[in-house]
Amino acid sequence: MAQALKSAAKYPPKTVRVKIKRYSPETGREWWQVYEVETYRGMTVLDALLQVKEKRDHTIVMRYSCRMGVCGSCGMIINGTPRLACQTQVSMVASEENPEITVEPLKNFPVVRDLLTDFTSFFEKHRKVKPYLIRRDTQEQENPKTEYRMTPEELLEIYPYSLCISCGLCVSACPVSASDEGFLGPQALAQLWRYTADVRDEAWRERLEIADDENGALKCHFAASCSAVCPKAVDPGGAIQMLRSALLKYKLGLWKKRKISEPVPPLEPTGEKVPLPPEAQTLPGVDLEAMEREPVVIDASKLLD
Amino acid sequence: MAGRGERRFLKNMPGWRASFNPWILKLPNNPERLAFVLHRVTGILLILILFLHITVTTTPATRGWEFWVEEIRKAQGITPVTLYFFIFAGIAIFHGLNGIRLLLVEFLGCCVGKPEKPKPPYISATLKAPQRTLLYIVFALWIILWMIAGYIIFT
Repeated sequence: MAQALKSAAKYPPKTVRVKIKRYSPETGREWWQVYEVETYRGMTVLDALLQVKEKRDHTIVMRYSCRMGVCGSCGMIINGTPRLACQTQVSMVASEENPEITVEPLKNFPVVRDLLTDFTSFFEKHRKVKPYLIRRDTQEQENPKTEYRMTPEELLEIYPYSLCISCGLCVSACPVSASDEGFLGPQALAQLWRYTADVRDEAWRERLEIADDENGALKCHFAASCSAVCPKAVDPGGAIQMLRSALLKYKLGLWKKRKISEPVPPLEPTGEKVPLPPEAQTLPGVDLEAMEREPVVIDASKLLD
Repeated sequence: MAGRGERRFLKNMPGWRASFNPWILKLPNNPERLAFVLHRVTGILLILILFLHITVTTTPATRGWEFWVEEIRKAQGITPVTLYFFIFAGIAIFHGLNGIRLLLVEFLGCCVGKPEKPKPPYISATLKAPQRTLLYIVFALWIILWMIAGYIIFT
């Protein structure tokens, strides 16, 4: 991101050569195709690809949606690095000396066509780790009357992992996922730890058994490439090491979830008033005390007239 | 090639090459990947050296102790035998030191980044954590110990 901020201030080369790796599922043919694109300041690689698609070649297939790094759809390998196309400025990856940008589909995902990859297996693995809160009292969970207690410190323990946008860049960078299709992968394992560490969840034993599977956490060898490419600094590599550590201790009978939070009892009205800050001033003609005695009722039907 | 009208997905996995080529992807701020590749390569070489070692140490049984003692006595300065020991020392030292680092990080969760609120420049906590210092210490110690081993072996 620091690089993005720096490059946002500079102009990209006037024209860049966008070299796209294409694939035809009908013929099984792969080839590189090059397009010249006129740039502008602040242009992203996704903008460049869309310009190619609109003006030069309508047949290019890719996936994108929000264009602001939130949906995680436009993950691609840009100049050899897994990145989100919408968060990668042209000026970050191209210069006057080397005005070429190579764009490839994410590795470790089956390619449907051109830059479009299939995420079915990715989401199946995500589903396998039960990425939701599980409580023993299902009745209370299904019909909640209050919320579960969670302190800011407890929230921070899981907060970065909850920012995952499932873009798949971590899986694309992972050397274990590159050679083993069965491996759960950094995204699913990080989410497994995110729910295991959550104080509101009670299924930690179940999840640790999933992580203890032959395709689980023990296959990770800490290359930390997942953490290096994560656009949201979710740190899957760190999460998996904490998971492995907990798993080892659990298997030795030394690890148990420290705390499970209980639902907060319903709040009773105390009648206490929050005083206005001393610098607060009411508008002329507004009498707060009178308003408290006789609350203002606004007739909605009169507003319509 | 797929038949007419038939569509198939392209399996886009680098396979074992990802474990042996640290530059298969350009990954900034990721020396852990280099350590991962070196650990795998040195691990495989250690297995090969083990077999070589077994073959070499059968020499006294096949060609006699005198021959063995004479060969060891001749191994002074830069010879194929001392070069072999020098390379073996480098492989074993790196694999051992990095193995200790991995045991600390992977099994004890030591030196891994604690969860924090992501803020610019959005670098994952583990990449800034003490495990990175540990990795640099491993690289530095490896070079130093290898040089010392080289000094001992060649002199």
